[in-house]
Amino acid sequence: MKRKGLIILCLVLVVAWLSGCATTETTKKPYRLSQQGTVIWEDELEFTPPPPDWKLLRVEAGENDINFGFMRQDTGPFPSLTTFAYDEEPFGCTPGFEQREKEFFKRFLFNAIIQFQILEKKKVQVVGGEGLAVLVEGKDPVKKEKVRAKVVFGKRGDRVVGFYITQWRPMDGAYDLSAFEVFDKFVSSFKFLKKSFYETL
Amino acid sequence: MEGHQRNLYLYERFNARVLGVSRDDVTTLKYWANGLDLTFPLLSNVTAFLGVSVSVQPEGQPIFGRRTIIIDKKGTIRYVRDGSPDFKDILLFLKKLNQEGGKP
Repeated sequence: MKRKGLIILCLVLVVAWLSGCATTETTKKPYRLSQQGTVIWEDELEFTPPPPDWKLLRVEAGENDINFGFMRQDTGPFPSLTTFAYDEEPFGCTPGFEQREKEFFKRFLFNAIIQFQILEKKKVQVVGGEGLAVLVEGKDPVKKEKVRAKVVFGKRGDRVVGFYITQWRPMDGAYDLSAFEVFDKFVSSFKFLKKSFYETL
Repeated sequence: MEGHQRNLYLYERFNARVLGVSRDDVTTLKYWANGLDLTFPLLSNVTAFLGVSVSVQPEGQPIFGRRTIIIDKKGTIRYVRDGSPDFKDILLFLKKLNQEGGKP
């Protein structure tokens, strides 16, 4: 491989993780509603919002990063909760969907220590191109909890972006699949209104 | 670290290479790199001299502070930021530095 002139980027690191902390939105709104009823997010993204019983979540990330999602407290005992989100930087590094999916699920809901079973995996059309949708279920027999999740990988320029929904239930609880329909509508409506930072470099 | 791995193609575009430096031993770093699918070098510096040389070794502590440093091709430190890396800031700086340096 051709070796070019060197600029060495040197990192001194502590092997530690800084995970994002979810908070509900309290500051200046980064979005506006279009006349068609879609949400325009920071003049960069457009999507159909979920019904009003879904609460907006912001994820503390880098100052210029887009990380947000929606949450709904479901009826039923703990942990009956559904969240879904768009993520500019889903876990993993590889630009190919198949490998990225493997990398992603090494880390997805890592703290819950759940082994996922893939229920369905299929190619889909998302954000104007080909993507990959993966439906999984994980169970925690110790806490007697389970989670059903769907992850959709798509492309923005050269980079993989992700959408995911997680629905937690007690082990004997029933999933509410209507939430997944809301998620699917959100994903299928999603558009990029301008190039990402990485595409403009 | 995943952020750096995702940005390797952009670092390549700007003639940059990335190195990680840690006080962890080689075995730990190999395991860690494998877990995150990292392909760039991680340097094990258990004796801490590299950290001391760039002032990220807190006295009496077994780990380095977290710092991002960019060194140009003449060996001059051009960029220092503490804490989690601001990848967009790093990329913009590398782009500028690469334009400054012209073609190798």
